[in-house]
Amino acid sequence: MKIIFPIVLVLISLLSVSQIQAQKTFGTRNGQIVFQSPSDEDVKAINNEVSSRLQDNGALSFSLLIKGFKFKMAEMQDHFNTQYLQSNQFPRADFKGTITNIASVNFAKDGNYPVQVKGDLTLHGVTRPVSASGSIQIAKGKPLAKANFSIVIKEFGVNAPDVTEKVTITVNCQYQ
Amino acid sequence: MKKWMKILLSIAGIGLVAGLILLYWIFNKPHRDVAKEKGIELTAQQLYDAFKNNETQANSLYLDKAIQLSGTVADISTNQAGQKVVNFSTNDPLVMINCTFKTDPGSLKAGDTITFKGICTGYIPDANVVINEGVLIK
Repeated sequence: MKIIFPIVLVLISLLSVSQIQAQKTFGTRNGQIVFQSPSDEDVKAINNEVSSRLQDNGALSFSLLIKGFKFKMAEMQDHFNTQYLQSNQFPRADFKGTITNIASVNFAKDGNYPVQVKGDLTLHGVTRPVSASGSIQIAKGKPLAKANFSIVIKEFGVNAPDVTEKVTITVNCQYQ
Repeated sequence: MKKWMKILLSIAGIGLVAGLILLYWIFNKPHRDVAKEKGIELTAQQLYDAFKNNETQANSLYLDKAIQLSGTVADISTNQAGQKVVNFSTNDPLVMINCTFKTDPGSLKAGDTITFKGICTGYIPDANVVINEGVLIK
């Protein structure tokens, strides 16, 4: 009995380690997300410092810093930060969700897989459910995630009626 | 021409010119050039510690500020816009100080100790502190 207990413990720990290893996580610190007004193509900002994790069980998360959005016009960038998104008070935006049809993505085989994503987006201190369709492209075992969806900014407590009502969000993240 | 009319016209003229200058300035206002600013001197570890210990306080101290950061290069990559990116290591293997260069820093390699100056955009817990628009100091 004295000897069985440690053996069981070792077996349990081995099992849990192998379970952790079975789940593969892909990450990036420099993914790309673009915010754009569908009504005015000059209102466009690019963020190249998006942190994202994608797991082969479908879990997906994105985090970015509002101050990382670059506009062509410096004045627009200032307005975006100070008047519309109050980036000193709410410096970060987060998305946590899942790929609902992850079973159709074969991470071991190069190809382009259409995906559906559902989750919660926190922007300007407000969390709301969002969904999007996109794709996972596997090349040399590394995924590239692409998606395109739009949000109504008023729903996130952002009021910019003279600029835009909706914002189109384009995700383009190459994982390592 | 009556004197008051002259005055009125010149005021209108000055107003018009001022308005045009203001419009020009709004459309052509230059982006920040961090190379001309004096940066807050920190090591990569000090910056991470500040955010890990008290994010709100670190935000008020460092957000949107020019930071002159010294540290050890963990890795170098190129982002999807073609800019050079350097990750500085911290004592947490999962957390990096992620620094994007505005100008090409030339050849760097992992293990180099460098000083970088850029604008801090904030902290993403369990991932990184982000600095962008950077230049290489030494």
